[in-house]
Amino acid sequence: MAVRSITFVKKILATGEPCGKCRDVEERLTAGKHWAAIDRVVVADERDSNSEGMRLAAELGVERAPFFVVQTGTKTITYTVFLKFVKEVLEAANETDSAQLLLAENPGLDLI
Amino acid sequence: MATRSIETKALESIDERSAEAVMADAFERFAADQIAISFSGAEDIVLIDIAAKIRPDVQVFSLDTGRLHPETYRFIERVRDHYDIRIDLLMPDAQDVQDLVSRKGLFSFYRDGHQECCSIRKIKPLRRHLAALDAWITGQRRDQSITRTDVPLEQDDAAFSTIDHRVVKFNPLASWTSADVWAYIRANEVPYNPLHDAGFMSIGCEPCTRPVGPHEHERNGRWWWEEAAGKECGLHAQNVRAVKFVGHSGR
Repeated sequence: MAVRSITFVKKILATGEPCGKCRDVEERLTAGKHWAAIDRVVVADERDSNSEGMRLAAELGVERAPFFVVQTGTKTITYTVFLKFVKEVLEAANETDSAQLLLAENPGLDLI
Repeated sequence: MATRSIETKALESIDERSAEAVMADAFERFAADQIAISFSGAEDIVLIDIAAKIRPDVQVFSLDTGRLHPETYRFIERVRDHYDIRIDLLMPDAQDVQDLVSRKGLFSFYRDGHQECCSIRKIKPLRRHLAALDAWITGQRRDQSITRTDVPLEQDDAAFSTIDHRVVKFNPLASWTSADVWAYIRANEVPYNPLHDAGFMSIGCEPCTRPVGPHEHERNGRWWWEEAAGKECGLHAQNVRAVKFVGHSGR
């Protein structure tokens, strides 16, 4: 698995309430047992333009939350679509692990 | 094809169809777009030669790991021209390879074992390809493995089948020995990878393959730095049978 860091940025609305979509994504990450893959959770507080999440969004040119920042070495990719993030990052990593398990269980396959 | 006499009781009940019969049956049961031959660029060329006489438009694929010998790449092209067939080269995901090499360098398998590299360069592309097929044909043989001798002529492929998608695997050469393979190649003037003339019995990726001596098992030429037992999870008593072939009248 690639050495990388994943940051989940969620929003607090100007009302002080958490963003509903962010809450939904967080619940899906937890339910899908992907929460452990998240290295950092950062808050973009609409009441504070200097909050870490707001500054990160400005730096990356992101206008929607939640979003994910995936850093692999010097490469940074931002995901604003949750399903795309799941497919390209979370499930892709699991695919290599499952391929290794498949090979371990079927040793003759490495001769193919 | 002449019948081979087999003295092992455990093998009496197995399927004893000839390789040609197995392949003919496979092509009868699966349409052209549902089945494919897996060609490693080695002596499994026999599969293509047999198939060419039954289904000339057979699908063939090879796993291009990116680390094959130049001779193997040239041989694949020669096979393409000789049989006038299309050979699909399956390549690993570029990001997967880049991640692996960035993290661990180009020769991590010498240190960590070959499983991670093979998983990325071979198993994942193979799995993607088989997701679109209902059957595949391999050149796997019982005599290729030191520890397992139970390769059947046909099997439900538990490795690549899912709840929604059954994949059948045909191993028409399962009961052939290396000597049988080479007798066929010579008798039928089948082109073969020139690495075989340099002592390579089994051919895989360049860093992980070496020639073997005349009395060595062919598997000694693959991942030799790893323990022989460790390559196949140790000895499985229920799979190791003394197989003695008595007589062989050619095909």
